[in-house]
Amino acid sequence: MSIRKLIYRLFLSLLAVCFPILVSANSGSGDNRLSSNSRNHTNYQGWERMIPTHIKLQYAGGMGLLSAGIGWDYGRKNRWETDIMVGFLPKAYSDRFHMTFTLRQNYIPWSVNITPQLALEPFACGVYGNIITGERFWLKEPERYPGAKSYYKFSSRLRFHLYIGQRLTLFMNEESMLKALSLYYELSMNDLMLISRINNRTLKLSDVVHFSIGVKAQLFGD
Amino acid sequence: MRNFIYVFSFCAVLLSSCVEYHPYDTHIAGQTNVNAKNIALIEEQCMGKREVKFAVVSDSQRWYDELEDAVESINERDDIDFVLHTGDLTDWGLRSEFEIQRDILNSLNVPYVCLLGNHDCLGTGYKIFREVFGELNVSFTAGNVHFVCLNTNSLEFDATDAVPNFGFIRAEYSNLPAQSEKTVVAMHSYPYSDQFNNDVAPMFQEYLRKFPNLQFCVHGHGHRYRREDIFGDGVYYYECPNVGSDAYLVFTINDVGYEYKKVDL
Repeated sequence: MSIRKLIYRLFLSLLAVCFPILVSANSGSGDNRLSSNSRNHTNYQGWERMIPTHIKLQYAGGMGLLSAGIGWDYGRKNRWETDIMVGFLPKAYSDRFHMTFTLRQNYIPWSVNITPQLALEPFACGVYGNIITGERFWLKEPERYPGAKSYYKFSSRLRFHLYIGQRLTLFMNEESMLKALSLYYELSMNDLMLISRINNRTLKLSDVVHFSIGVKAQLFGD
Repeated sequence: MRNFIYVFSFCAVLLSSCVEYHPYDTHIAGQTNVNAKNIALIEEQCMGKREVKFAVVSDSQRWYDELEDAVESINERDDIDFVLHTGDLTDWGLRSEFEIQRDILNSLNVPYVCLLGNHDCLGTGYKIFREVFGELNVSFTAGNVHFVCLNTNSLEFDATDAVPNFGFIRAEYSNLPAQSEKTVVAMHSYPYSDQFNNDVAPMFQEYLRKFPNLQFCVHGHGHRYRREDIFGDGVYYYECPNVGSDAYLVFTINDVGYEYKKVDL
């Protein structure tokens, strides 16, 4: 593994671990005051904040046929979420089997209780970066390409996606280890198709926006 | 319960067409194997003709608006038999790019054939191209003219893939249909370009000259209009300007000879 790759991977892992801790450390004082909100579920202190608060399973969304991961929610009313997902793209939908790795940042500003057990999160949005394995995908293009400047001027391995979506959350029994279960869908667009959309009036949104669906299991807390 | 299953399966089918497992997945939505279907149409419609007129568009990657304009312009005239796209339908080889370009080209009133460009090879692009359009080397006969479409993007393939594929060219000599009196060769990257396997360029030319009555070669890749006798042997290479420069070429081949014209939009 080259030094560049190593630094890149270390940076991503550090970012994933540190970001939730930093943010929740800054907003920890509000926890008690807001505890009446059912989404505000963690009372972690200190090192406990490193414990993931949820797991997710997702279908599609540019991060594999299926992907699964862990994440942390934090901030005032747990409006912020960071996920790390691992997915796979089977040979049937590609040239060979690929793994994908995703770091995703979510913002979920509102939670509306429909019943005491059921809440709608009418708007979620976020951004995620995804890398895929396989030698046909590169971060920096192979040396075979001529010229001092980049030949293709992009990385085929790293994609960024923007998304908006909605969620439906079912709160479980307080005693259970599974605190809540959310069903979510997302409409996402990748960076390259976003550029294409900006430059072409005839491109329809439906050409560049893709649908994905997933489930989030809220664990632990209290 | 049964209604629920119907609704659920309807939604599942609807949604599975607009999901993306990965931008480079090969989960094609819509028409596949486009070239074979269109070639059958071209051969049928041009059967027995002694004058063939075709348009060439090229390098339409990320120029969706301009490709639409070119399609509209070609549709406005009724003298074109078919359209050749000399490669680079995509900028990054993504599935969405191939699908959108195919859908725009599908609104042509005449059949079309697409060649592989170097950008179309990126990631799994070559595989998506193969599924959406078909084989990377392909040939067909329109009227009395044989068209040989070659993959010449050597830089994108390893030595284990023959690019250009001399075996394919040799097989062409022996499989020429009886009615093909003349030949046109189309490719994306041209001899002595950065993509071509330039060590074999002279041999490539020798092979092409063995085709009966070789008229000319047409290619893309350079994005500007050019007419050049690359090997100094009287065989002209016509570079089709990219769609983004709002132009396409029209060739007419008949018993007198051939004519070419650059059409500006």
